[in-house]
Amino acid sequence: MAKKKIVAQADLARIETVIAEYQNERWALLPLLERIQQEFGFIPPSSIGLIAKGLRLFPAQVQGVITFYAQLYTTPRGKNIVRVCRGTACHVRGGKTILKLVKRHLGIQEGEITPDFEYSLETVACIGCCALAPNMVINRNIYGRMNPKKVALIFGQHGRQ
Amino acid sequence: MQSVTITLDGREVSGYPGMTILELARESGINIPTLCYDPHLSSIGACRVCLVENEQSGALLASCVTPIAPGMVINTHSPRVTGHRSTIVKLMLASHPDSCLVCDKGNRCQLRQIASDMGIGLSEFQRIPQMAAIEEVNPFIERDASKCILCAKCIRACQELAVEGAIDYFRRGFTAKPATLNDLPLEDSECSFCGTCVALCPTGALMEKERAYRGTTKTATQTTCPFCGCGCSICLEVKDNHVVRVTPGKQDAVNHGTLCVRGSYGCDFIHSPDRLTKPLVKANESFEEVSWEQALELAATEFKRIKDKHGPDSLAVLGSSKCTNEENYLLQRFARCVLGTNNIDNGSSLYNAATRIGLGTSIGFPGTTNYVSALEESEVIIAIGADPPSSAPIVGYTIKRAVKYKGAKLILIDPRRTKLSSFAYLWLRPKVGTDVALLNSLAKVIIDEGLLDEEFVARETDNFEACTKTLEEYSPEYAEAITGIASKEIRAAARLYAAASQAAIVYGSGITQHTSGTDSVKALANLAILTGNIGRRGGGIYALQRENNAQGACDMGALPNFLPGYQNVSDAQARRKFEDRWGVSLPANPGLTALEIVEQARQGKIAGLYIIGENPVLSFPHSSLVTQALTSLDFMVVQDMFLTETAKLASVVLPATSFAEKEGTFTNFEGRVNQVRKAIEPLGQSLSDWEIILRLADKMGCPLPFSSLQQVMDEVEELVPLYEGYADSQRLHEDELSIREAGRSYRGQLLRGFARFSPVQYTPHVPRQIRGREGKAPFLEAKEGYPFTLLTGTILYHFGTGTRSSRAWRLKKFSPQSFVEIGEADAQKLGISHCDKVSVISPVSKLTTIAKIIDGLPEGTLFMPISFPETPVNGLFDITLDPEAKTPSLKACNVRIERVGPHGEKEDSRTS
Ligand code: SF4
Ligand code: SF4
Ligand code: SF4
Ligand code: FES
Repeated sequence: MAKKKIVAQADLARIETVIAEYQNERWALLPLLERIQQEFGFIPPSSIGLIAKGLRLFPAQVQGVITFYAQLYTTPRGKNIVRVCRGTACHVRGGKTILKLVKRHLGIQEGEITPDFEYSLETVACIGCCALAPNMVINRNIYGRMNPKKVALIFGQHGRQ
Repeated sequence: MQSVTITLDGREVSGYPGMTILELARESGINIPTLCYDPHLSSIGACRVCLVENEQSGALLASCVTPIAPGMVINTHSPRVTGHRSTIVKLMLASHPDSCLVCDKGNRCQLRQIASDMGIGLSEFQRIPQMAAIEEVNPFIERDASKCILCAKCIRACQELAVEGAIDYFRRGFTAKPATLNDLPLEDSECSFCGTCVALCPTGALMEKERAYRGTTKTATQTTCPFCGCGCSICLEVKDNHVVRVTPGKQDAVNHGTLCVRGSYGCDFIHSPDRLTKPLVKANESFEEVSWEQALELAATEFKRIKDKHGPDSLAVLGSSKCTNEENYLLQRFARCVLGTNNIDNGSSLYNAATRIGLGTSIGFPGTTNYVSALEESEVIIAIGADPPSSAPIVGYTIKRAVKYKGAKLILIDPRRTKLSSFAYLWLRPKVGTDVALLNSLAKVIIDEGLLDEEFVARETDNFEACTKTLEEYSPEYAEAITGIASKEIRAAARLYAAASQAAIVYGSGITQHTSGTDSVKALANLAILTGNIGRRGGGIYALQRENNAQGACDMGALPNFLPGYQNVSDAQARRKFEDRWGVSLPANPGLTALEIVEQARQGKIAGLYIIGENPVLSFPHSSLVTQALTSLDFMVVQDMFLTETAKLASVVLPATSFAEKEGTFTNFEGRVNQVRKAIEPLGQSLSDWEIILRLADKMGCPLPFSSLQQVMDEVEELVPLYEGYADSQRLHEDELSIREAGRSYRGQLLRGFARFSPVQYTPHVPRQIRGREGKAPFLEAKEGYPFTLLTGTILYHFGTGTRSSRAWRLKKFSPQSFVEIGEADAQKLGISHCDKVSVISPVSKLTTIAKIIDGLPEGTLFMPISFPETPVNGLFDITLDPEAKTPSLKACNVRIERVGPHGEKEDSRTS
């Protein structure tokens, strides 16, 4: 918790300079949110007021947009985002087990983040390459035809046993 | 403009281009159900209940957002339309709890109305899980997201009408709902509890929380809010002679579907157990209940005795800026004809005399020169000495709307941070009491840089040269030295104001209640005429009035120096007109102003006083002197709803009704004459003020020749030029919505045909020095050791001196105790922490309250609301008068602040 606060605080000054680029441009809310998220991994809730002020919107309005898009986050995420597919094709080919194994490897549930901020675990409904099922995505890399060995190997390779 | 013709349900109808199908249908008498549409809000087509069919293309259209196009063939109730509409309603019901039987929205629920109109009972669709309600501690509003149909009316009301932006959609899909930032309870958000969203919500999702009655009432009366000078149209819903609910009224040219918390939840005072229901007479230091006959007999005899013994000018009357126009008219006639004195004044004189004199001298019209709605068209708005979001919320909403949605630029001149600060383009924070220097400097920049409206100045003004000459020394640098505002900012503000083709000035008691009030008003008027901003569409001067009928009371001549319609009492010709009509000879010498009455009472020169609906012990400066003055009277009658601090000192107390129990009119600060209609029968034996005045006149042996209110109105219309046409407009039936914008309002031209520049000089405020009439000894000697400037003002949750708002239980519950605001740095220096008990001490008095630490107060400044009877803030003030308007300074005084005892517990006192 304390760590999260420090992260957010350090970033606020930087966020303000980003906001300044979009000053008073109401239309720019989404691009701005995306930029902040790209740079910081998430949109710190404490920045909502600043964003609203910069763009002359109401804070509740900004929050409304953020909570509407599943891809916008208000909590910190790990350096690496692990997404395990829970779509039909992957399910049939053991996606559920893969998810269980990944959870065990990372020691977290889906939607959570490892205490060292290395990994976030999420599930997705399809990633569009069912032929390779079961699938997993880490950041922008797709790992197809997953199996328990591969799970162990990948998380070993990513610096974890 | 070419009209557009379409075929609607087989009939040819025409409308104007841009009109929606729904609007045209409503105009043509075709009923299309709607849930998310409201004429006051932007249309978003969210609910789809209003769908109609385009016969040519087969498309189903949401009629509330589809404009008409030539040749369209539209069906509003074809089987296909009704089929789809009923599916939509059923889907809504599927995600709605089956709680109609126990839901307090009852027959007012629009979803249920539409379902029953369409013959839909239980929905066969699979039910969708519902959300939990949110726990709120505020006494006003309760939310239950499970009943929400996501029509977003509340969201739009909050963002577009009240412009608070407290709520918006939150999350998506099945979990979507309107929520505050971080989904907190309303009291932890920006919400000001205006109740607009509650009034608009079609379902039971938003409801009044602590409600007096759970059902749907059968009777509702359209009337006018009794609190501030905005004069909102309100609707009183009545059950068994009880006002159980207040909603925004239909005649809403002023408030456009909104209200503020006082209008929505503050009328609880009507049924306060403290209401007086029987006349009281003081015998041996305590009150005894007597009959009306006895009370009036005693009052009449005593007044007559005093008049015979000491002459008519030993009597005085204090009228009320809260009573109707008709009552004020009768009262001044009572004073002048029955008592035979001009000693009549009303409570609003304490703050609006500066406007009357200042604007009267400059533009020849003693009040606001434009409608509130026109403010939305202003390009630049100067708000000075006013906190409209608290004191005149409708003006606050309008300014915020202008800024947020119409691109207006706000120049806020206020040392204190208010809700408007975040809307300001320029926020100037002058030192307290230096307004004249600032305003003069703005005028000088405008003249020097040639930004004035030369044509207007040449054509419609005089005295320009004299004024220019006095402005000589007010360079921005000079003004900077006095006001503390950077010269750069002064120049920027002047340029901004002058460059706008339509610019407005809004000011309030922060201007008029200083000792330099009249001068400041003149300086403001100078700015307006310098730039030709009088009589323009979005330009003008808005003089905010604190009370509901402050304007009317003055218009009706409840003033010592003016007969009705501002006709001077010393003008023989004006007097003759009234003498002929009234059949009496009128006193020619101007009477005493409110404060002079008190002062003369103290000196024994006034022996009898008749007070209606005023509470001078709290509302006048220096309470202990006022109390002393009132107790030294021979005889005093107080006519009020409650046993106020003043009434306790009276010999006779007459129980008056509230606004809900009487008929009449209030004139709002724009000059709009609004109707007051009777919603319930008088409580107990209380009587309307106008009836009491008439009865008392009878008893005094000089009956006033009126047997109905209509007769009073007819006479007002005849004798008061400003109210031409008004009696007629009052004959409108309750259902007729268009109150005529009757005669009182400013019509755009300068009445005299020209405006006059009034040179004014900045005079430094000399604290604690009396500048009253010559030869009068100052009440108090100056003292050292009062380093803080105490500012006073209104807070949203209370009103005036709190006589009514402290008896409105929901307001009282939400904002129970007084406080003093202090800046962080000052608090630290004095070792005061949040919620500590502190003493505020002025040279004349002292009180104890709770400290509230806030940011946004300049160092050395404190702020206190005036509305808590337990801490009479006005009592801290010495009597320091504006030299011209003879009004006391009640805005700023010198004090010191000390912590009392140990640190208080750090609970949040939820106020302001
Ligand atoms: S709370 Fe009421 S007004 Fe707001 S979206 Fe829901 S149903 Fe509509
Ligand atoms: S009560 Fe007024 S301020 Fe509060 S949420 Fe409703 S509309 Fe907004
Ligand atoms: S107090 Fe003023 S703004 Fe509020 S509802 Fe009454 S008239 Fe309107
Ligand atoms: S009323 Fe038209 S979509 Fe709701």
